[in-house]
Amino acid sequence: MSKSALDDVLEFHWMMDMLQTVDVGIVVLDREFKIHMWNDFMESHSGLTAADAKGHSIFAINPDINQTWFSQKTNAVFALKIRSFMTWEQRPYLFKFANYRPITGTEDFMYQNIAISPLTSATGAVDYISMMIYDTTDKAAAKKQLEALQVHVDESNELT
Amino acid sequence: MSLSVLICDDSLVARKQVAKCLPQDWDVQVHFAKHGEDAIDQLNKGKGQLLLLDLNMPIMDGYQTLEAIQTSAIQSKVVIISGDIQPAAHERVKALGAIDFIQKPVNPGQLQAVLKQHDLLNVSDELIESSLPYSVRDCYQEITNIAMGQAGDHLARIMNVFVKLPIPNVNLIEVSELHMMLKDIEKHEQVTAVCQGFIGGGVSGEAVCILSDSSFGDVAKILNITEAVDDQIQLEVLMDAASILIGTCLSGIGQQLDLSLRQGQPIVLGQHRNVNELINQNQNKWRKTLAIELSYGIEGFDVQCDLILLFTEDSMTVMNKKLAHLLEENT
Repeated sequence: MSKSALDDVLEFHWMMDMLQTVDVGIVVLDREFKIHMWNDFMESHSGLTAADAKGHSIFAINPDINQTWFSQKTNAVFALKIRSFMTWEQRPYLFKFANYRPITGTEDFMYQNIAISPLTSATGAVDYISMMIYDTTDKAAAKKQLEALQVHVDESNELT
Repeated sequence: MSLSVLICDDSLVARKQVAKCLPQDWDVQVHFAKHGEDAIDQLNKGKGQLLLLDLNMPIMDGYQTLEAIQTSAIQSKVVIISGDIQPAAHERVKALGAIDFIQKPVNPGQLQAVLKQHDLLNVSDELIESSLPYSVRDCYQEITNIAMGQAGDHLARIMNVFVKLPIPNVNLIEVSELHMMLKDIEKHEQVTAVCQGFIGGGVSGEAVCILSDSSFGDVAKILNITEAVDDQIQLEVLMDAASILIGTCLSGIGQQLDLSLRQGQPIVLGQHRNVNELINQNQNKWRKTLAIELSYGIEGFDVQCDLILLFTEDSMTVMNKKLAHLLEENT
């Protein structure tokens, strides 16, 4: 193996390591919604190993996801090569994970922002899509607290 | 330090109309007051070296306001904009210290003439440069047109509908105008809006997608959503429509400018968010922004959807450079 080829392999290795360990959920799906990547974040929070998830349909792994709805959502990503978004305000979570801070956290589960992006292959075609799952529990909790406070202030204003 | 202009009228429409008539390239800060008392308050705070004042208003009318300005020796110049065309009214306000009188409805030419006559238009060289020359505006419009053409084709194919392609409206807008636009969204209970930041290659800005509530049913139909359209589904519909519209439009523009624009997570501009405050905080950071407005319609459906792309002032330098080759070909 030449030096540069070895370097390439090593680089690929640490890049994969980074994708695995980043504190964001990464799931890669093909057109049949079969899972091709399930990173550490997903493993840790779901309790399901990558080996168990890979090759299986996302709907089999997570029956909470409505198949028709999800196909329509991803259809635009495949066809238009655009990114599609879900916010916690719209849908608190797609994967029901426990709160990252089970002791001091106020919410039971993890609120999630999700971005679905097309993955363009060398030929320019989109055969895979990636899902990035961000933990937005703190944001959601803060907003809920703020709203509760607003209601409280409004109510006490009405009383006076 | 730019001149500060206070527009005082009890009608929102009139305030907007007057603000729209201000010369586009005039470096001013625009403030608004709903009646005379409000205006005096703001004048005392140092806002409004020029006051554009209506006569008939509740609480404190124009005449009383002029009197109050005289008694408290406020140095502001006052131009009356009123529907009262009686010569007596004209004489009275002049006697009370107003420098001029403009009849409603005001038009830009008339207002500009009055401002010029009283030497209020001090347009610096820098500002002339930052106003949008026709050729550049044309260029942005054309780029958006092409992006829209591509997006429309994609949309039509994925949704099986005929998209009426909007004519993009390209403008440099002031903070105050954006303010009004967003306040309108906030006031209008019949609309919901999502905004999303984008950035890439030295270009950045925000996209705002506004959907009228009456459109939700039809948009849900187009997107094949069969459930009853409740609040949660509405948000879902808006998010999907926004993803598609913003995504296709930005990628079209990005392709032509050879930029890859990444989009941040969209934010719902709901009623719990105080849009007013949001803009106030940023008011010092920027003065003008390039705005591209697109109004979508879909044939056979009652859909009213507006997409506004706002680019930062800095982005324009980069974009103008990228557009330079297009401009050269034109001339």
